Amino acid sequence: MPMDSQWREEPFSIHTLSVMRSQIINPSTPEPTLISILQALTHSLQSTNQTIHQTHHILKLLSDLAAHHSSISQLVLDSLRANSPDPSSITHLAVEGTVESLHAITSILDEGLVSLDDSLFVSLCFGPNVSARIWMLRNAGLRFQVRPALLLGVCLGFTKDPYPYVREASLEGIHCLCEHGVFEDVSLVDACYGRGVELLSDMHDCVRLSAVRVVASWGVMLAASNADMKNYLSNEVFAKLCSMARDMSMKVRVEAFNGIGKIEIVSEDFLLQSLSKRVLTFGKTKKTLYQSTSEQFVKLATSVAGALVHGLEDEFFEVRKSACQSLCTLTILSLEFAHEAINFLMDVLNDDSVVVRLQALETLHHMATNGFLKLQEKHLHMFLGVLVDTNTEVRYAERKILKVVKLNDRVLFKSSIDSLLENLVHYPQDEDDVLSALSHLGRNHKKYVGLIIKEIFEEVEAAFEGNFEFNSVRIAALLTLSISSPILNGHIGSIPPVMFSYAVTFLGRIYCAFSDIMDRNALLAYLCEKSRSTGHSGGDAPNLATIEVIESQITREPKEIANYKEEQQQPANNEVIDFANYILAKLPDMWAMIQSGFTNKVLQSLRCWKEELTTMMASDSLGCGDALAFTLQNLRIFKLLAQVWQHLLPEKKVSSQRAATLESKLGKLDKRVKELMSRFLGFSAEEEITVLELILVTFSLKLCKAKICSSNQTFKKLNAIYLQVESLLKESSTLPSNFIVELGKLLHESSTAINEASSRNPLPFDECLKFFSFKKFMFHGTIRHSNAELSIPNNDLEHPFPFVSGLPVGIPCNITAYNVSSEKRLWLRISMDDGFVHHVFLDLDLFEGSGKVKKFAFVAPFYRTTTKADSVTLKISIGLESLFENACPVQIRGGPKRELVLLCTEKQVYLSKVDKD
Amino acid sequence: MAIETLVLGAGQEVGKSCVVVTINGKRIMFDCGMHMGETDHRRYPDFRRISHSGDFNNALSCVIITHFHLDHVGALPYFTEVCGYSGPIYMTYPTKALSPLMLEDYRKVMVDRRGEEEQFTSDHIVECMKKVIALDLRQTVQVDEDLQIRPYYAGHVIGAAMFYAKVGDAEIVYTGDYNMTPDRHLGAAQIDRLRLDLLITESTYATTIRDSRYAREREFLKAVHKCVSGGGKVLIPTFALGRAQELCILLDDYWERMNLKVPIYFSSGLTIQANMYYKMLISWTSQKIKDTYSTHNAFDFKNVHNFERSMIDSPGPCVLFATPGMLSGGFSLEVFKHWGPSEKNLVTLPGYCVAGTVGHKLMSGKLTKSDLGPDSEKDIRCQVHQLAFSPHTDYKGIMDLVKFLSPKHVMLVHGEKPKMISLKEKIHSELGIPCYYPANNETVCIPSTHYENVETSDSFVRSCSNPNFKFQKCSSVDTCNSTSTDRNLMPELQVKDERVAEGILVVDRNKKAKIVHKDELLLKLGEK
Repeated sequence: MPMDSQWREEPFSIHTLSVMRSQIINPSTPEPTLISILQALTHSLQSTNQTIHQTHHILKLLSDLAAHHSSISQLVLDSLRANSPDPSSITHLAVEGTVESLHAITSILDEGLVSLDDSLFVSLCFGPNVSARIWMLRNAGLRFQVRPALLLGVCLGFTKDPYPYVREASLEGIHCLCEHGVFEDVSLVDACYGRGVELLSDMHDCVRLSAVRVVASWGVMLAASNADMKNYLSNEVFAKLCSMARDMSMKVRVEAFNGIGKIEIVSEDFLLQSLSKRVLTFGKTKKTLYQSTSEQFVKLATSVAGALVHGLEDEFFEVRKSACQSLCTLTILSLEFAHEAINFLMDVLNDDSVVVRLQALETLHHMATNGFLKLQEKHLHMFLGVLVDTNTEVRYAERKILKVVKLNDRVLFKSSIDSLLENLVHYPQDEDDVLSALSHLGRNHKKYVGLIIKEIFEEVEAAFEGNFEFNSVRIAALLTLSISSPILNGHIGSIPPVMFSYAVTFLGRIYCAFSDIMDRNALLAYLCEKSRSTGHSGGDAPNLATIEVIESQITREPKEIANYKEEQQQPANNEVIDFANYILAKLPDMWAMIQSGFTNKVLQSLRCWKEELTTMMASDSLGCGDALAFTLQNLRIFKLLAQVWQHLLPEKKVSSQRAATLESKLGKLDKRVKELMSRFLGFSAEEEITVLELILVTFSLKLCKAKICSSNQTFKKLNAIYLQVESLLKESSTLPSNFIVELGKLLHESSTAINEASSRNPLPFDECLKFFSFKKFMFHGTIRHSNAELSIPNNDLEHPFPFVSGLPVGIPCNITAYNVSSEKRLWLRISMDDGFVHHVFLDLDLFEGSGKVKKFAFVAPFYRTTTKADSVTLKISIGLESLFENACPVQIRGGPKRELVLLCTEKQVYLSKVDKD
Repeated sequence: MAIETLVLGAGQEVGKSCVVVTINGKRIMFDCGMHMGETDHRRYPDFRRISHSGDFNNALSCVIITHFHLDHVGALPYFTEVCGYSGPIYMTYPTKALSPLMLEDYRKVMVDRRGEEEQFTSDHIVECMKKVIALDLRQTVQVDEDLQIRPYYAGHVIGAAMFYAKVGDAEIVYTGDYNMTPDRHLGAAQIDRLRLDLLITESTYATTIRDSRYAREREFLKAVHKCVSGGGKVLIPTFALGRAQELCILLDDYWERMNLKVPIYFSSGLTIQANMYYKMLISWTSQKIKDTYSTHNAFDFKNVHNFERSMIDSPGPCVLFATPGMLSGGFSLEVFKHWGPSEKNLVTLPGYCVAGTVGHKLMSGKLTKSDLGPDSEKDIRCQVHQLAFSPHTDYKGIMDLVKFLSPKHVMLVHGEKPKMISLKEKIHSELGIPCYYPANNETVCIPSTHYENVETSDSFVRSCSNPNFKFQKCSSVDTCNSTSTDRNLMPELQVKDERVAEGILVVDRNKKAKIVHKDELLLKLGEK
């Protein structure tokens, strides 16, 4: 295309340039004209006789061209690239001019293209042009990939700049760097944090805002990098952020609460202090952390005082919302604090802003899913009042809580049901969700349903017989509640079977309340089955007398219940195993749900099942203990895996389990998985592989997530287990799972790579973890559960065993071992509070009885009686050496060579010194 | 240079706020209030101490009124119309609008009811208000060449402001009454971080720490809800401005949310008029009301109706707002006589009732039939709920404000002496700021900031405009950083920027001061 004659002159005069500009910003300029302008501009960019000023104008025009006409923006980019083969030279072209031209050029180019050498960056920053300095600081990290160490130094220095916006930009830079990497040098971290703290009292709002961000992010990092002072530093960061909760700028306050919500550890005293405007007097934290400087403690406590209360009653809804949100994470840290915070959250439910009410409900929901929501009667008015709120979303959020909450009081349960029914009267449009809430309430509170079923039954029956005005919505709701309680296990308890028949007539109306667990046909089948069920009343006519039986059952001793159940449930044996396998079969599906992020929902159903299983176990007197224990073990592992898995999911915004708890979760998971391996007998080879795979997953998770010092050891163990799996696979000729295949590849690669490198760059275990899926793992008759019972006769706090200082003492133990074969190595583990552990080997040949149950009375010697204390408390338990692990023995002098898996809970034994005279 | 503060009222007491501050030769009078408890000449501040000759126009640069309460504005018509001050008077728009209402109401009560000699007439009030210059929030006004003033939001009542004043380099803030926690209808006080030489703050609740507002609101709503759902009537005796609107917003909002249909009434008169003003003064209310007023004006109460005298004995539950607040007479007492005998009904009383009023007796449980007049026959059986809503800041709020502003000196006014002493100790020990609490007619002098302008050399300016920071590793034993006492094993990294410190002040033979860069000085010295 011939170049337009009007753009011939060179260099361009200001007039020409302005003509070009008006052409460019006019949206109806024809494309050929634009292209000719583009050509003229790129042509002149190459000629050497341009002044810096003109280069800038040309670049600005080019960026305008790209911005205003999306159709030719690609063309602009291409021609820029074509004209200078080395992209850095374009940048250079611009940089020689001003930062403004750099701004222009970066708006055309993609991020990756622009690179800036460090010296150029520094020289631009240190120039006298203030706006250039701000621009460089704001864009350096994101666009130019300046070396982080350099950038951090520059930013740190500029926090001393006299210009507030420079200080702001440099603080923002420091904050961003924290998110991008981990810095080894503790003094550097300390310096960043220190600068943030200093600027918390800056004159300018924007600087304080950024300083709060820096304090929150670097404070957490500082605490994490300093293991022995972690608690102390976390408290200090918490106090610093709390002191900003009374800032005059709304944005600063919002940011302060956002920061508070990120803190992982705070001592309980400080948490409670943040809910009281008066400075409280404390014992615990003061003693442990602030022995020498109680004055400083008071100072910190003063700045913490009432911070959250102020946040919750702030004038701006943004602040109130942020404060509510921060409670989400803080309530997990302490149960007592959670209880206290509920009182305040209840008041927030009266807030005038819907957004805040919703956030408060969200926080309560979060607490409920974590089991921290303990409602009391005094909360009822506020809490259930929300059900008649005019806002649909608020009512929905409230019902969401009711679906998961565990009510521990009959009055609370009854009032919740009544309020839901009232909700239904006022807002008939809520019907579906109210029914669903009722169905969840019923499922979670089987025993309370049992307590009120009599009233419900009478009302429903009266309605069906036409004695009362037929209020169909109400009846549907009551039916939903009644039929939901036995849905998770087979027993209908005291519910009259005729209720299920009644419910069939409402099927179309109520089936959606159960849509989360079954579809319409399944519900129909369930209702039909239950309505035929005779229960234990033995007839069609509902035997309401059983209600009293159940009521008393709740208060009875577990042993009595066991007897009671024995009488009632002889044929239930198979039913229990069915239930166990029903749960086990569900797990792989639930794993898929976790992968797609519905962890909370899954955890909630797990909790129901767990409760159900534990009650069944307590009352079990038949042979189904193995099945229940096996299922429970699997559930526990599944739950821990689910919780740990949250940290692998890409979008973990406010994940409930924080990094601090991750380590402890991993520890538990490790223990549970090993228990599964050691305490259960009779696995087939295939099943053994499945269990070993779980162990491999645990190790991989440990390696890629937790900062455990002994990662080298974990790695060795992982290798050993992998080899074991490999040999098992060869023997059994089953196909390895995807996870095992990927892990194998990874281990192979690492063994060929240099050892040094592998320890520096952690292996990408998270990559192969993506291939893991939870396998279906059914219970069958051959699986046995190793278990032990330990009793110490005639010993309690008031009747301690006597001992004489310096002489050994004998502790009589009665031991019953179930399913422990004689090739196993059994130990008695005796521990003291100060960390002393003593092991006594138990010779299985000495046990009486054979086969499944072995009994043994034994006097365990205990030698360490040289203590000065007058009374000693020992903890005794029975452990099984886990034989499957043969790498890295945990050698304790004279003790077991491998890790112990405990077979029973620890028993306390009390000793008291006898005077020699 | 010094700041001289003469306290004419509210020194170690509550009432007749009036503080005259002299900064670098400029004299400002903050507030011009009257004492409600006094009847003789002590009712007004002793203005003669400002000028014995009575030439107030030359003695004062301006008068600043913080809000419309009588203990802050009550003496103004007397000062302008009787004492003859005719200089500028500054107050915020709402204060200008509502002050005449208050003054007129007070004048009527004094003259018409108690038959006292009138101190000023209605015309005086009108004339006085003509001299007032109204201000908007954060509007900086140059009173004269040197004096600059600026009002900041103070909460407390509608239109209440804290005033910032600056003469030369000396800066002070006078808070008036303020509230650091928000209400339903008013926001919390808001101010910038300033470099103050002096902060003069109120200290009404200098030792109280108040609990969350939510708890008080909840109890109030619960009591009212319980009463009306039991078919009872609720009487809320209240002052027309401020608390009435606050409680009404609270109730109206609750009614809306809970879908209640029970009517809420306002007894006519001042309240209705005040509501009209509130509707216009939206920009002075809380953030929530400002956010929502385009769709719904919060003072357009949906469930509120006018009350007719004939409705007193009509059946059914209702809520009624009636003046005056302490059941000291008027309509609220009349209604109380009708509703008091039924145990279904509820009366809410303000947190503070003057001794001798029916409200005070009712609260202390000493109310007898004879207190309600000769014609009353029935015993009072209704429920009583005490309200604890106060628009003043508490101890924590004062400390938070002082901490945020970090002034060089603090002065306490508008509070009781023992409480002031306790607060003074706290400010001194916790924040390390010297604090004063002068009595009435005392004068306190404090030093003020003064900056000197000096010439600078070009090379110093150049070196200042280029960043020049250094990092230093020093063990924290050297630094007196108290938070690091436990971390002294670790060398601390510190950032230093000593651009300004590189300047050196030199005074030449003509006694002219100049700042030069240290290198320059070395060079100069080397030449000689």
